[in-house]
Amino acid sequence: MTGRLLWLAGVAAGAALGADPAAVARGQKEEARSCIPCHSLRLIHSQRLSRAAWNKELDKMAGWGTAIVDRDALLEYLEVNFGDDKAPPAPVMSQDGVKK
Amino acid sequence: MTAGAAKLARAADDSIAIPGKRPMILHNDRPEDLETPVRYFDSWLTPVDAFFVRQHIPRPAPIDPAAYRLTVNGMVSKPLQLTLADLQKLPQATVPATIECTGNGRGFYTPKVPGIQWGRGAIGNAEWAGPRIADILKAAGASSSPAFLETDGADTGVAKTPDFVRSLPMKKAMHPATILALKMNGQAIPDIHGFPARLIVPGWDGTSSVKWVVRISAAAEANKGFFMNPGYRYPKYAIPPGSPAKPAELEVIEGMPVKSSITAPEDQGKLALGSIAIRGFAWAGEEAIERVEVSTDGGSRWRDAQLSAPKLPFAWRLWLLDWRPADPGYYTILSRATDSKGRVQPIVAPWNPSGYLWNAIDRVGVTVEKA
Repeated sequence: MTGRLLWLAGVAAGAALGADPAAVARGQKEEARSCIPCHSLRLIHSQRLSRAAWNKELDKMAGWGTAIVDRDALLEYLEVNFGDDKAPPAPVMSQDGVKK
Repeated sequence: MTAGAAKLARAADDSIAIPGKRPMILHNDRPEDLETPVRYFDSWLTPVDAFFVRQHIPRPAPIDPAAYRLTVNGMVSKPLQLTLADLQKLPQATVPATIECTGNGRGFYTPKVPGIQWGRGAIGNAEWAGPRIADILKAAGASSSPAFLETDGADTGVAKTPDFVRSLPMKKAMHPATILALKMNGQAIPDIHGFPARLIVPGWDGTSSVKWVVRISAAAEANKGFFMNPGYRYPKYAIPPGSPAKPAELEVIEGMPVKSSITAPEDQGKLALGSIAIRGFAWAGEEAIERVEVSTDGGSRWRDAQLSAPKLPFAWRLWLLDWRPADPGYYTILSRATDSKGRVQPIVAPWNPSGYLWNAIDRVGVTVEKA
Protein backbone atom coordinates (compact mmCIF):
# COMPACT_ATOMS: atom_id res chain seq x y z
CA MET A 1 0.00 0.00 0.00
CA THR A 2 1.35 3.42 -0.87
CA GLY A 3 1.87 6.13 1.69
CA ARG A 4 -0.98 8.13 0.20
CA LEU A 5 -3.45 5.26 0.53
CA LEU A 6 -2.40 4.69 4.11
CA TRP A 7 -2.97 8.36 4.80
CA LEU A 8 -6.45 8.11 3.30
CA ALA A 9 -7.20 5.03 5.41
CA GLY A 10 -6.16 6.99 8.47
CA VAL A 11 -8.51 9.85 7.58
CA ALA A 12 -11.35 7.39 6.95
CA ALA A 13 -10.83 6.02 10.44
CA GLY A 14 -11.11 9.48 11.92
CA ALA A 15 -7.53 9.23 13.11
CA ALA A 16 -6.47 11.70 15.72
CA LEU A 17 -4.43 14.56 14.39
CA GLY A 18 -0.82 13.59 14.64
CA ALA A 19 -1.39 9.82 14.48
CA ASP A 20 1.20 8.30 12.21
CA PRO A 21 -0.66 6.35 9.49
CA ALA A 22 2.33 4.10 8.88
CA ALA A 23 2.48 3.21 12.57
CA VAL A 24 -1.27 2.57 12.62
CA ALA A 25 -0.91 0.20 9.65
CA ARG A 26 1.99 -1.58 11.35
CA GLY A 27 -0.13 -1.80 14.48
CA GLN A 28 -2.87 -3.56 12.59
CA LYS A 29 -0.38 -6.13 11.31
CA GLU A 30 0.88 -6.58 14.86
CA GLU A 31 -2.67 -7.16 16.04
CA ALA A 32 -3.15 -9.90 13.45
CA ARG A 33 0.16 -11.48 14.42
CA SER A 34 0.02 -11.36 18.19
CA CYS A 35 -3.69 -11.35 19.15
CA ILE A 36 -5.36 -13.79 16.73
CA PRO A 37 -3.55 -16.91 18.00
CA CYS A 38 -5.53 -16.77 21.27
CA HIS A 39 -8.82 -15.03 20.48
CA SER A 40 -10.86 -13.46 17.72
CA LEU A 41 -10.45 -9.75 17.10
CA ARG A 42 -14.05 -9.01 18.01
CA LEU A 43 -12.96 -9.08 21.65
CA ILE A 44 -10.78 -6.06 20.90
CA HIS A 45 -12.93 -4.26 18.36
CA SER A 46 -16.01 -4.20 20.60
CA GLN A 47 -14.21 -2.19 23.30
CA ARG A 48 -13.57 1.54 23.55
CA LEU A 49 -10.73 2.36 25.92
CA SER A 50 -8.32 5.17 26.66
CA ARG A 51 -4.70 4.85 25.54
CA ALA A 52 -3.72 4.20 29.17
CA ALA A 53 -6.31 1.44 29.50
CA TRP A 54 -5.20 -0.20 26.22
CA ASN A 55 -1.62 -0.01 27.44
CA LYS A 56 -2.64 -1.86 30.59
CA GLU A 57 -4.38 -4.51 28.50
CA LEU A 58 -1.16 -4.99 26.50
CA ASP A 59 0.72 -5.46 29.79
CA LYS A 60 -1.80 -8.10 30.79
CA MET A 61 -1.56 -9.92 27.47
CA ALA A 62 2.25 -9.78 27.50
CA GLY A 63 2.11 -11.32 30.96
CA TRP A 64 -0.06 -14.09 29.56
CA GLY A 65 2.54 -15.03 26.98
CA THR A 66 1.86 -12.78 24.00
CA ALA A 67 5.14 -11.78 22.33
CA ILE A 68 4.30 -8.30 21.06
CA VAL A 69 7.03 -7.06 18.72
CA ASP A 70 5.82 -3.64 17.56
CA ARG A 71 4.09 -2.56 20.76
CA ASP A 72 4.13 1.20 20.15
CA ALA A 73 2.49 0.73 16.75
CA LEU A 74 -0.11 -1.62 18.19
CA LEU A 75 -1.00 0.89 20.88
CA GLU A 76 -1.26 3.66 18.28
CA TYR A 77 -3.56 1.49 16.16
CA LEU A 78 -5.78 0.65 19.16
CA GLU A 79 -6.07 4.27 20.24
CA VAL A 80 -6.88 5.51 16.73
CA ASN A 81 -9.52 2.86 16.03
CA PHE A 82 -10.87 1.85 19.42
CA GLY A 83 -10.21 4.83 21.67
CA ASP A 84 -12.69 5.90 24.34
CA ASP A 85 -13.62 8.92 22.20
CA LYS A 86 -15.10 6.61 19.56
CA ALA A 87 -18.76 5.59 19.51
CA PRO A 88 -19.41 2.01 20.63
CA PRO A 89 -20.11 -0.33 17.72
CA ALA A 90 -23.62 -1.56 16.96
CA PRO A 91 -24.29 -5.07 18.27
CA VAL A 92 -23.53 -7.85 15.83
CA MET A 93 -25.64 -11.00 15.72
CA SER A 94 -24.35 -14.47 15.07
CA GLN A 95 -26.06 -16.55 12.41
CA ASP A 96 -28.70 -19.11 13.38
CA GLY A 97 -26.94 -22.21 14.65
CA VAL A 98 -30.13 -24.15 15.39
CA LYS A 99 -31.85 -24.28 12.02
CA LYS A 100 -28.97 -25.91 10.21
CA MET B 1 -11.71 1.46 12.09
CA THR B 2 -9.20 1.19 9.29
CA ALA B 3 -10.41 -0.38 6.05
CA GLY B 4 -8.44 -3.54 6.68
CA ALA B 5 -9.76 -3.97 10.21
CA ALA B 6 -13.33 -3.44 9.00
CA LYS B 7 -12.83 -6.11 6.34
CA LEU B 8 -11.53 -8.58 8.91
CA ALA B 9 -14.45 -7.89 11.25
CA ARG B 10 -17.00 -8.32 8.44
CA ALA B 11 -15.43 -11.58 7.34
CA ALA B 12 -15.81 -12.92 10.89
CA ASP B 13 -19.43 -11.82 11.31
CA ASP B 14 -20.70 -13.26 8.06
CA SER B 15 -19.53 -16.75 8.81
CA ILE B 16 -20.24 -17.20 12.51
CA ALA B 17 -23.05 -19.50 13.55
CA ILE B 18 -22.74 -21.14 16.96
CA PRO B 19 -24.05 -24.72 16.70
CA GLY B 20 -27.08 -25.20 18.94
CA LYS B 21 -27.63 -21.47 19.44
CA ARG B 22 -30.17 -19.13 17.90
CA PRO B 23 -28.82 -15.83 16.60
CA MET B 24 -27.10 -14.27 19.64
CA ILE B 25 -25.36 -10.97 20.27
CA LEU B 26 -21.84 -11.88 19.25
CA HIS B 27 -19.26 -10.30 21.54
CA ASN B 28 -16.60 -12.83 20.70
CA ASP B 29 -16.56 -15.98 18.63
CA ARG B 30 -13.25 -17.54 19.69
CA PRO B 31 -13.74 -18.33 22.50
CA GLU B 32 -17.51 -17.87 22.57
CA ASP B 33 -18.98 -14.89 24.40
CA LEU B 34 -22.65 -14.74 23.45
CA GLU B 35 -25.34 -12.49 24.87
CA THR B 36 -29.03 -13.30 24.83
CA PRO B 37 -31.11 -10.68 23.00
CA VAL B 38 -33.80 -9.49 25.46
CA ARG B 39 -36.61 -10.55 23.12
CA TYR B 40 -35.76 -14.21 23.90
CA PHE B 41 -36.52 -13.67 27.61
CA ASP B 42 -40.19 -14.57 27.37
CA SER B 43 -40.23 -17.66 29.57
CA TRP B 44 -39.30 -18.39 33.18
CA LEU B 45 -36.80 -21.02 32.06
CA THR B 46 -34.43 -19.70 29.44
CA PRO B 47 -34.20 -22.25 26.61
CA VAL B 48 -30.77 -23.81 26.23
CA ASP B 49 -30.52 -22.58 22.64
CA ALA B 50 -30.94 -18.99 23.88
CA PHE B 51 -28.82 -19.18 27.05
CA PHE B 52 -25.85 -16.80 27.22
CA VAL B 53 -22.28 -18.11 27.02
CA ARG B 54 -19.16 -16.75 28.69
CA GLN B 55 -15.87 -18.52 28.04
CA HIS B 56 -12.63 -17.18 29.50
CA ILE B 57 -10.45 -19.58 27.59
CA PRO B 58 -11.22 -21.99 24.77
CA ARG B 59 -13.46 -24.94 25.57
CA PRO B 60 -11.70 -28.22 26.26
CA ALA B 61 -11.87 -30.96 23.64
CA PRO B 62 -15.27 -32.68 23.88
CA ILE B 63 -15.29 -34.96 26.93
CA ASP B 64 -16.08 -38.65 26.33
CA PRO B 65 -18.74 -39.45 28.96
CA ALA B 66 -17.45 -43.03 29.28
CA ALA B 67 -13.91 -41.84 29.98
CA TYR B 68 -14.92 -38.94 32.24
CA ARG B 69 -13.63 -39.01 35.81
CA LEU B 70 -14.21 -36.52 38.61
CA THR B 71 -11.27 -36.37 40.99
CA VAL B 72 -12.25 -35.64 44.59
CA ASN B 73 -9.17 -34.99 46.69
CA GLY B 74 -7.41 -32.63 49.08
CA MET B 75 -8.43 -32.75 52.74
CA VAL B 76 -10.57 -35.87 52.44
CA SER B 77 -10.01 -39.27 54.07
CA LYS B 78 -10.96 -41.23 50.93
CA PRO B 79 -9.89 -39.56 47.65
CA LEU B 80 -12.18 -40.62 44.81
CA GLN B 81 -12.27 -40.95 41.05
CA LEU B 82 -15.96 -40.87 40.18
CA THR B 83 -17.47 -41.87 36.86
CA LEU B 84 -20.52 -40.22 35.41
CA ALA B 85 -22.52 -43.32 36.45
CA ASP B 86 -21.26 -42.89 40.04
CA LEU B 87 -22.49 -39.30 40.03
CA GLN B 88 -25.84 -40.35 38.57
CA LYS B 89 -26.29 -42.91 41.38
CA LEU B 90 -26.10 -40.25 44.09
CA PRO B 91 -29.37 -38.52 45.08
CA GLN B 92 -30.18 -35.95 42.38
CA ALA B 93 -31.26 -32.47 43.42
CA THR B 94 -33.18 -30.16 41.08
CA VAL B 95 -32.43 -26.47 41.53
CA PRO B 96 -33.97 -23.64 39.51
CA ALA B 97 -31.32 -20.93 39.50
CA THR B 98 -30.46 -17.79 37.63
CA ILE B 99 -26.90 -17.48 36.43
CA GLU B 100 -25.61 -14.02 35.65
CA CYS B 101 -22.18 -13.12 34.37
CA THR B 102 -20.39 -10.96 36.95
CA GLY B 103 -19.87 -8.38 34.20
CA ASN B 104 -23.44 -8.31 32.87
CA GLY B 105 -24.24 -4.65 32.12
CA ARG B 106 -20.57 -3.65 31.96
CA GLY B 107 -21.26 -1.75 28.77
CA PHE B 108 -23.45 0.70 30.72
CA TYR B 109 -20.62 1.93 32.96
CA THR B 110 -19.01 5.32 32.40
CA PRO B 111 -16.05 5.67 32.20
CA LYS B 112 -15.68 2.56 30.05
CA VAL B 113 -13.86 -0.37 31.56
CA PRO B 114 -12.06 -3.22 29.80
CA GLY B 115 -13.86 -6.50 29.25
CA ILE B 116 -16.80 -7.84 27.29
CA GLN B 117 -19.25 -4.96 26.85
CA TRP B 118 -22.32 -6.89 27.94
CA GLY B 119 -25.73 -5.24 27.86
CA ARG B 120 -28.72 -6.80 29.63
CA GLY B 121 -28.46 -10.36 28.40
CA ALA B 122 -25.52 -12.13 30.07
CA ILE B 123 -28.06 -13.82 32.30
CA GLY B 124 -30.47 -16.74 32.15
CA ASN B 125 -32.61 -18.92 34.38
CA ALA B 126 -32.48 -22.69 34.12
CA GLU B 127 -33.45 -25.78 36.03
CA TRP B 128 -30.25 -27.56 36.99
CA ALA B 129 -30.09 -31.12 38.29
CA GLY B 130 -27.33 -33.30 39.69
CA PRO B 131 -25.75 -34.55 42.90
CA ARG B 132 -25.16 -32.18 45.79
CA ILE B 133 -21.55 -31.22 46.42
CA ALA B 134 -22.22 -32.08 50.08
CA ASP B 135 -23.03 -35.68 49.14
CA ILE B 136 -19.94 -36.04 46.96
CA LEU B 137 -17.72 -34.70 49.72
CA LYS B 138 -19.41 -36.96 52.27
CA ALA B 139 -18.65 -39.99 50.07
CA ALA B 140 -15.01 -38.90 50.05
CA GLY B 141 -14.96 -38.58 53.82
CA ALA B 142 -14.37 -34.85 53.95
CA SER B 143 -14.08 -33.50 57.45
CA SER B 144 -15.75 -30.26 58.45
CA SER B 145 -12.44 -28.46 58.88
CA PRO B 146 -11.43 -27.38 55.33
CA ALA B 147 -12.50 -23.79 54.77
CA PHE B 148 -12.64 -23.94 50.97
CA LEU B 149 -13.62 -26.07 48.04
CA GLU B 150 -11.41 -25.64 44.99
CA THR B 151 -12.89 -26.49 41.59
CA ASP B 152 -10.99 -27.00 38.34
CA GLY B 153 -12.53 -27.26 34.91
CA ALA B 154 -11.05 -29.25 32.01
CA ASP B 155 -10.38 -26.04 30.08
CA THR B 156 -6.78 -24.92 30.08
CA GLY B 157 -5.25 -21.58 29.16
CA VAL B 158 -3.64 -20.70 25.83
CA ALA B 159 0.01 -19.60 25.96
CA LYS B 160 0.49 -18.49 29.57
CA THR B 161 -3.18 -17.64 30.15
CA PRO B 162 -3.98 -18.83 33.66
CA ASP B 163 -5.96 -22.02 34.23
CA PHE B 164 -9.57 -21.47 35.26
CA VAL B 165 -9.70 -22.52 38.91
CA ARG B 166 -12.12 -21.14 41.50
CA SER B 167 -12.50 -21.53 45.25
CA LEU B 168 -15.70 -21.41 47.22
CA PRO B 169 -16.12 -21.08 50.99
CA MET B 170 -16.95 -24.59 52.26
CA LYS B 171 -20.12 -23.30 53.90
CA LYS B 172 -21.52 -22.33 50.47
CA ALA B 173 -20.20 -25.51 48.84
CA MET B 174 -22.06 -27.60 51.46
CA HIS B 175 -25.34 -25.74 50.97
CA PRO B 176 -28.01 -28.22 49.81
CA ALA B 177 -28.66 -26.16 46.66
CA THR B 178 -25.01 -26.21 45.54
CA ILE B 179 -24.78 -29.04 43.04
CA LEU B 180 -22.64 -30.60 40.37
CA ALA B 181 -25.20 -30.24 37.60
CA LEU B 182 -25.46 -33.00 35.02
CA LYS B 183 -28.65 -31.63 33.49
CA MET B 184 -29.86 -28.25 32.29
CA ASN B 185 -33.61 -27.87 31.68
CA GLY B 186 -34.00 -31.64 31.76
CA GLN B 187 -31.36 -32.52 29.18
CA ALA B 188 -27.67 -33.37 29.40
CA ILE B 189 -25.70 -30.14 29.70
CA PRO B 190 -24.50 -29.18 26.21
CA ASP B 191 -20.75 -29.05 25.67
CA ILE B 192 -20.79 -25.25 25.36
CA HIS B 193 -22.28 -25.04 28.89
CA GLY B 194 -19.90 -27.52 30.54
CA PHE B 195 -20.70 -31.14 29.58
CA PRO B 196 -20.78 -33.49 31.39
CA ALA B 197 -20.74 -31.72 34.77
CA ARG B 198 -20.70 -28.14 35.93
CA LEU B 199 -20.84 -26.56 39.32
CA ILE B 200 -23.98 -24.59 40.12
CA VAL B 201 -23.56 -22.08 42.93
CA PRO B 202 -27.05 -20.60 43.25
CA GLY B 203 -27.26 -16.90 43.98
CA TRP B 204 -23.61 -16.20 43.27
CA ASP B 205 -21.99 -14.70 40.19
CA GLY B 206 -21.71 -16.88 37.12
CA THR B 207 -17.96 -17.26 37.37
CA SER B 208 -18.45 -19.38 40.51
CA SER B 209 -20.28 -22.02 38.47
CA VAL B 210 -17.25 -23.71 36.91
CA LYS B 211 -17.87 -25.72 33.73
CA TRP B 212 -16.43 -29.11 32.64
CA VAL B 213 -15.55 -29.88 36.27
CA VAL B 214 -12.82 -32.53 36.52
CA ARG B 215 -11.55 -31.93 40.06
CA ILE B 216 -12.91 -30.74 43.37
CA SER B 217 -10.54 -30.44 46.32
CA ALA B 218 -11.18 -29.66 49.96
CA ALA B 219 -8.54 -27.11 50.97
CA ALA B 220 -7.54 -24.98 53.92
CA GLU B 221 -6.91 -21.92 51.76
CA ALA B 222 -8.47 -20.30 48.72
CA ASN B 223 -6.75 -20.79 45.37
CA LYS B 224 -4.39 -17.92 44.58
CA GLY B 225 -4.68 -18.02 40.78
CA PHE B 226 -5.68 -15.09 38.57
CA PHE B 227 -9.36 -15.94 38.52
CA MET B 228 -9.51 -15.58 42.33
CA ASN B 229 -7.10 -12.68 42.65
CA PRO B 230 -7.09 -10.10 41.14
CA GLY B 231 -9.85 -11.49 38.87
CA TYR B 232 -13.46 -11.30 40.01
CA ARG B 233 -12.88 -8.99 42.94
CA TYR B 234 -14.85 -5.91 43.87
CA PRO B 235 -13.81 -2.84 45.91
CA LYS B 236 -14.73 -3.12 49.58
CA TYR B 237 -15.22 0.66 49.66
CA ALA B 238 -16.69 2.52 46.70
CA ILE B 239 -14.11 4.48 44.68
CA PRO B 240 -14.44 7.54 42.43
CA PRO B 241 -15.33 6.54 38.84
CA GLY B 242 -12.21 6.07 36.73
CA SER B 243 -9.82 5.62 39.61
CA PRO B 244 -7.80 2.50 40.39
CA ALA B 245 -8.79 0.25 43.27
CA LYS B 246 -6.44 -0.50 46.14
CA PRO B 247 -5.52 -4.17 45.65
CA ALA B 248 -5.65 -4.82 49.40
CA GLU B 249 -9.23 -3.55 49.47
CA LEU B 250 -10.53 -5.81 46.71
CA GLU B 251 -12.78 -8.63 47.91
CA VAL B 252 -14.06 -11.86 46.43
CA ILE B 253 -17.67 -11.40 45.31
CA GLU B 254 -20.18 -13.42 47.33
CA GLY B 255 -23.87 -13.28 46.46
CA MET B 256 -25.42 -10.84 44.01
CA PRO B 257 -27.27 -7.52 44.28
CA VAL B 258 -30.97 -6.92 43.64
CA LYS B 259 -31.76 -6.16 40.01
CA SER B 260 -34.53 -5.89 37.45
CA SER B 261 -34.22 -5.50 33.71
CA ILE B 262 -36.73 -4.46 31.07
CA THR B 263 -37.06 -6.96 28.23
CA ALA B 264 -40.01 -5.39 26.41
CA PRO B 265 -40.49 -3.00 24.81
CA GLU B 266 -36.99 -2.81 23.36
CA ASP B 267 -34.98 0.34 23.91
CA GLN B 268 -35.66 3.06 21.33
CA GLY B 269 -38.52 1.08 19.85
CA LYS B 270 -41.61 2.59 18.19
CA LEU B 271 -45.01 1.44 19.40
CA ALA B 272 -48.61 2.05 18.41
CA LEU B 273 -50.84 3.84 20.91
CA GLY B 274 -52.91 1.24 22.76
CA SER B 275 -52.22 -1.53 25.23
CA ILE B 276 -48.47 -2.06 25.69
CA ALA B 277 -46.98 -4.87 27.76
CA ILE B 278 -43.94 -3.78 29.74
CA ARG B 279 -42.09 -6.93 30.74
CA GLY B 280 -38.88 -7.98 32.35
CA PHE B 281 -37.12 -10.15 34.89
CA ALA B 282 -35.82 -9.51 38.39
CA TRP B 283 -33.55 -11.46 40.69
CA ALA B 284 -31.58 -10.90 43.86
CA GLY B 285 -28.90 -13.57 44.23
CA GLU B 286 -29.56 -15.52 47.42
CA GLU B 287 -32.70 -13.52 48.18
CA ALA B 288 -36.14 -13.64 46.55
CA ILE B 289 -37.80 -10.80 44.67
CA GLU B 290 -40.51 -9.10 46.69
CA ARG B 291 -41.60 -6.28 44.42
CA VAL B 292 -40.98 -4.65 41.05
CA GLU B 293 -42.15 -1.12 40.34
CA VAL B 294 -42.35 0.49 36.94
CA SER B 295 -42.43 4.14 35.96
CA THR B 296 -43.40 5.39 32.52
CA ASP B 297 -42.73 9.05 33.24
CA GLY B 298 -39.05 9.07 34.08
CA GLY B 299 -39.54 8.21 37.74
CA SER B 300 -42.19 10.63 39.03
CA ARG B 301 -44.84 7.98 39.60
CA TRP B 302 -44.34 4.27 40.13
CA ARG B 303 -46.75 1.37 39.76
CA ASP B 304 -46.39 -2.20 40.99
CA ALA B 305 -45.82 -4.77 38.28
CA GLN B 306 -47.37 -8.24 38.44
CA LEU B 307 -44.83 -10.87 39.47
CA SER B 308 -44.67 -14.46 38.29
CA ALA B 309 -44.81 -17.31 40.81
CA PRO B 310 -42.92 -18.94 42.35
CA LYS B 311 -41.10 -16.62 44.74
CA LEU B 312 -37.78 -18.34 45.32
CA PRO B 313 -34.27 -17.50 46.34
CA PHE B 314 -31.73 -18.01 43.51
CA ALA B 315 -34.26 -17.85 40.65
CA TRP B 316 -35.60 -14.81 38.90
CA ARG B 317 -39.23 -13.72 38.71
CA LEU B 318 -40.72 -12.38 35.51
CA TRP B 319 -42.80 -9.24 35.81
CA LEU B 320 -45.44 -7.53 33.71
CA LEU B 321 -47.23 -4.21 33.62
CA ASP B 322 -50.08 -3.52 31.23
CA TRP B 323 -49.53 0.07 30.13
CA ARG B 324 -52.10 2.15 28.26
CA PRO B 325 -50.53 5.51 27.50
CA ALA B 326 -53.12 8.25 26.88
CA ASP B 327 -50.99 10.24 24.48
CA PRO B 328 -48.40 9.68 21.80
CA GLY B 329 -44.85 10.84 22.44
CA TYR B 330 -41.51 9.75 23.80
CA TYR B 331 -41.55 7.91 27.13
CA THR B 332 -38.79 6.92 29.51
CA ILE B 333 -39.66 3.62 31.18
CA LEU B 334 -37.90 2.59 34.39
CA SER B 335 -37.97 -0.57 36.51
CA ARG B 336 -36.95 -0.96 40.15
CA ALA B 337 -36.83 -4.18 42.17
CA THR B 338 -36.96 -4.80 45.93
CA ASP B 339 -35.92 -8.11 47.48
CA SER B 340 -37.02 -10.10 50.52
CA LYS B 341 -34.19 -8.59 52.55
CA GLY B 342 -35.38 -5.06 51.79
CA ARG B 343 -32.62 -4.24 49.32
CA VAL B 344 -33.79 -1.78 46.65
CA GLN B 345 -32.28 -1.41 43.19
CA PRO B 346 -30.30 1.86 43.16
CA ILE B 347 -30.46 4.75 40.70
CA VAL B 348 -26.68 4.61 40.27
CA ALA B 349 -24.66 1.40 40.14
CA PRO B 350 -21.31 1.84 41.91
CA TRP B 351 -18.57 2.20 39.31
CA ASN B 352 -15.75 -0.31 39.72
CA PRO B 353 -12.63 -0.93 37.63
CA SER B 354 -13.77 -4.30 36.29
CA GLY B 355 -17.34 -3.25 35.57
CA TYR B 356 -18.94 -5.90 37.78
CA LEU B 357 -22.43 -6.16 39.30
CA TRP B 358 -24.26 -3.52 37.25
CA ASN B 359 -27.67 -3.20 38.87
CA ALA B 360 -28.86 0.36 38.34
CA ILE B 361 -32.61 0.91 37.85
CA ASP B 362 -33.19 -0.17 34.27
CA ARG B 363 -34.23 2.36 31.67
CA VAL B 364 -35.52 2.23 28.12
CA GLY B 365 -36.89 4.94 25.89
CA VAL B 366 -39.77 4.35 23.49
CA THR B 367 -41.77 6.44 21.04
CA VAL B 368 -45.52 5.89 21.11
CA GLU B 369 -47.22 6.85 17.87
CA LYS B 370 -50.87 7.36 16.99
CA ALA B 371 -52.27 4.09 15.71
